[in-house]
Amino acid sequence: MKLLEALDIVKGMNGREGRALPAYLATGFTSLHLKTFLTAELSKLLPDRTIEVSEGLFGDLLGNLRRFSKSEFEFGAVFLEWCDLDSRLGIRSAARWNSSDLDDILATTQRRAQELQQQLNENSLKSPIALSLPTLPLVPFSYTPGWQASSFDLELHGIVRSMTSAVSHNTRIRVLNSQRIDIESPLKERFDVEGETLTGFPYRLPHASSLAFSVARLLQAPLPKKGLITDLDETLWKGTLGEDGVDGIRWDLEHKSQMHAFYQRFLGSLASAGVMVGVASKNDPALVNEAMNREDLAISQSSFYPIEAHWEPKSHSVTRIMEAWNVSDDSIVFVDDSPFELAEVKAAHPDVHCLQFPTGDPVGVYNLVQKLRDIFGKGTIFPEDAVRVESIRRRNLHRSMRSMSAPQDFIEDGDAELTCNFEKFPPDLRALELVNKTNQFNLNGRRYTESSWLKLVGESSAFLMIASYRDKFGPLGKIAVLGGSLQSGKLNISVWAMSCRAFSRRIEYKCLYELVKHFGAKQIAFDFQTTQRNGPIRDFLCGILGTAPSTECTVTREILQQRLESFLRLPEPVNERR
Amino acid sequence: MKDVEDRLAHCFSAVFPELTDGEIRSATSETVRSWDSVAGVTLIAVVEEEFCVRLDSDDLSNLTSFQGFLSSLRKAEHDQDEAERGDERPSSLQA
Repeated sequence: MKLLEALDIVKGMNGREGRALPAYLATGFTSLHLKTFLTAELSKLLPDRTIEVSEGLFGDLLGNLRRFSKSEFEFGAVFLEWCDLDSRLGIRSAARWNSSDLDDILATTQRRAQELQQQLNENSLKSPIALSLPTLPLVPFSYTPGWQASSFDLELHGIVRSMTSAVSHNTRIRVLNSQRIDIESPLKERFDVEGETLTGFPYRLPHASSLAFSVARLLQAPLPKKGLITDLDETLWKGTLGEDGVDGIRWDLEHKSQMHAFYQRFLGSLASAGVMVGVASKNDPALVNEAMNREDLAISQSSFYPIEAHWEPKSHSVTRIMEAWNVSDDSIVFVDDSPFELAEVKAAHPDVHCLQFPTGDPVGVYNLVQKLRDIFGKGTIFPEDAVRVESIRRRNLHRSMRSMSAPQDFIEDGDAELTCNFEKFPPDLRALELVNKTNQFNLNGRRYTESSWLKLVGESSAFLMIASYRDKFGPLGKIAVLGGSLQSGKLNISVWAMSCRAFSRRIEYKCLYELVKHFGAKQIAFDFQTTQRNGPIRDFLCGILGTAPSTECTVTREILQQRLESFLRLPEPVNERR
Repeated sequence: MKDVEDRLAHCFSAVFPELTDGEIRSATSETVRSWDSVAGVTLIAVVEEEFCVRLDSDDLSNLTSFQGFLSSLRKAEHDQDEAERGDERPSSLQA
């Protein structure tokens, strides 16, 4: 992003009516254009909020962190540079340099790193932090030539690494990947010596822009896609199955097709992190099954679900896969080597993210995998991720084995167990993830930052219910979140999100039933807002309210329970108290 | 040069969003209340990036008005033409 573009974004944001989002920018240098870039990047990621970034004092990173810890912020961005650890490591210092002082500099750095570590942990209790480690070159004062790493340089790096390693275990401190910055912003193009001496701003604009781009994403990660649909021929493997045969398709070094194995391994990593991976291939299904059973495949066949192999248009396969996953088309990525197939799918599903597999171009495949890593990346893996694909597979298998004339029968037959947890603390990040990524069964589509979520549930009148589900086919994990407030016998539900794997089982009826029973409220109000995608919850509310839902629609407990009970024949849930 | 003037006005508008187009072209650090040191540094940075030019740090005292910036950019363009004629390394203005 160029500075002019960033300024234009900030200018446009200032006319918004959205809620303010207070964030702090802790640096030891003048934050100047970094503040502009960071504000613009956060503004792009949070288009309904007005970003307000606070800065600290020049030359006092630690003090700035201490001051920020006393106020309320939703985010904190911390940019550490060498001179924050010891001012002698910066070019603005007037201190004399003597090689006999190196041990003293190391000692100061060590002490300051420990203080920073402690302060970062303290600040993280109030708001999540993104931490950028030193990105500028060390001053060339050490005694070795530039091409030799001195023990002094290495020990300095070691101190920072050690501090970073310690804070990285804190899930509320996210550390910027220095390798990514190395790629995006080459070291020799980062330092603005003139700017540092004239204004105290040490970054060249492209470097400041790169840092702001990544740090903003650490603070407000874009929602990852949920599933990837891949082609087989010339994509998952080199060759055409129908022509080359099961033994003729390749993914090895010998046949210059190793990047297909690389792609397979990457898909395996996605599947193990809870991303759904399906196949859309124009092929003979029997041959595909045989090929997928090859022992040298670098991904287990069970990682793929479903596999659509036939001669129909691929857009039909994509439709069926989305139905099997119960997700919408903007949640998935389709990868194919053929521009024709990509165009055909794109025409039928405009919101599907279509990417071409660059067969025969190893660098292209590597770049594609890096791009996919970003598209599907997430900060935490939850237990629900490990069971997602298997639970979908089991559910669809069960559906196909019997007719589903009455949905509640399915719940009964499955020995369903719904566990409701009403504890608000310690905060459950899975609940926040569910609220932020659910589109279809979401009461109002409202999204929360970590801080705004904690504030919401921390209110004295606030309630939170997290429902977990399991049946005879296994656990689905935490699948529903309901939240809001209880005031004067009225239950105001402002948060309700349910996993797409759960709501077609009618678990939503049981969740609401348990919530109302638990609090014994006389009236229940739903803070409903129509979104482009929340048709399922609108239909559900229509059913239980007897009319189309409006904002702040209200129903009495008697009427609600009567309607809910007509849908339910579930066993009693286990009310869990942590 | 009209294009340069419009692009420069865009830079001013981004840094001083409260100014109308007419006010921008007569803006000086004396008449624009929000033109402080930070705004001045930001303005120079955004103009340098937008026009791919390095403004002469000895000439900063002239960069206190819209017209001053315009003159500096014209000078930079002239320097670039000279440099290209002399087969020297291009140093400043690019469209």
